[in-house]
Amino acid sequence: MAILEPGKMSPWERLFGSRRSAGIAKQRLHDVLAHDRAEIPPGMLALIKDDIVAVVSQRLNVDRDGVTVNVMLHDSRSQLCVNVPLLNSGPVRSPATPPSLAA
Amino acid sequence: MTGMVITITSGKGGVGKTTATANIGVALAMLGQKVVVVDGDIGLRNLDIVMGLENRIVYDIVDVVEDRCRLRQALVRDKRVGELYLLPAAQTRDKSAVSPEQMVRVCKELCEEFDCVLIDSPAGIEHGFQTALAPAHKVLVVTNPEVSAVRDADRVIGIIESQGKGPAQLLVNRIVPARVRKQEMLSTEDISEVLSTSIIGIVPEDEAILTASNRGLPIVLNGKTPAGQEFMRIARRLLGEPIPVRPPVELSWWQRLFARE
Repeated sequence: MAILEPGKMSPWERLFGSRRSAGIAKQRLHDVLAHDRAEIPPGMLALIKDDIVAVVSQRLNVDRDGVTVNVMLHDSRSQLCVNVPLLNSGPVRSPATPPSLAA
Repeated sequence: MTGMVITITSGKGGVGKTTATANIGVALAMLGQKVVVVDGDIGLRNLDIVMGLENRIVYDIVDVVEDRCRLRQALVRDKRVGELYLLPAAQTRDKSAVSPEQMVRVCKELCEEFDCVLIDSPAGIEHGFQTALAPAHKVLVVTNPEVSAVRDADRVIGIIESQGKGPAQLLVNRIVPARVRKQEMLSTEDISEVLSTSIIGIVPEDEAILTASNRGLPIVLNGKTPAGQEFMRIARRLLGEPIPVRPPVELSWWQRLFARE
C-alpha cells in the first residue's frame, strides 16, 4: 500500500483538495500503537538493527543499507518485522567462527 | 443494596468524559435506577456546572474523607429526575487530597444505598486517574475519532487491563457520519479494530451538547436530539438490555431541524 509520509499530499490531492485522510490516520495509529504496546524505547530498533547485521554478516553478505527493522501490529499484538536483503555473492568467504561455537 | 461502580475515563482531556458521565447518570436515573455521580477531578471541578448543580454545593468529597461532614450531607440531589445525586469534587485542593483507598471506602458506602455509582475520572494516567479507577467494577473509555485521543485511549485500556479492571468498553464520541462517509474521519470500525475493544455506544457530534451545557441541562433530558438518544441507549445497555450498537445515521436537513431542542 502506498502510504504517503505523514503531512505529505499526493499531486492528485493537492490538485483536487482531497481530504480522505481517515486511511492515513488508521495506518499511523497502527504503527504508533505497535511501538507503544511493546514499550520500545526510542533508539532501541537501531541497536537491534546493528545486532542483526552483525550476526547475519558473519555468514552472509548483507546489503547493510537495505536492512529494515520495524514493529507492526498483527492480530493486535506487536510484531518485530526484520528485512535483511542480501548481496548476491553467496556466503561470506572465510566465515568467522560464531562466538557461540568458539569455546 | 450492592451498587455497581462505573468509572468513566479517557486518557486525553476534552473528549467528553464529563458530558458522558452527566448524561449516562441522568439516563440511568430516568430508567428508575438510584444513581450517584462522583466528580473525581479534584481541583478542576466540572461535573456540577455541566449538570447545573453548581449553586447547591455545601460540602465536597474532600470534606467527606477528612471527616468534616457525613457522606449524606455532601450529596446534592438533582430534583429534575427520580433518584439522582452528585458528590462534588473540591475545587481548591489537588488530586492527592483523596487516596485510592479513601475512594474505595467512599464508594463502598455509596454502593450500600445506590444502584449505580458513576465516577468522572480526571484526564491523564496519574494519581487522580488511579484513584477513580480503584473502586471500579466496570470502566468506560471515552474517545474521539482523532489520532491523539485514540492513542491515549489505547494506553489507558492497557493500564486498566494490567490492573485487572478490564475489559474496558469504548464510548466513541463526536462522530460526524457525513465525514466518515467521505473518509475524512476515522470510522467507529477503524477505532474498534485498532484498539481491539468492544464498543458500548457511538455518540454523534451534536450542536445541542453545547447548548445543553451552557444551560446546565444534560442533553438526555431532551429525548429528541441524536446524542441524547444514544446516551439513553448506552444507559440501557449498561443495565443489560440487548440494544445493538450502530453508527449514527446522517440526518437530512429537515431531520436536523426537528432534532433540535
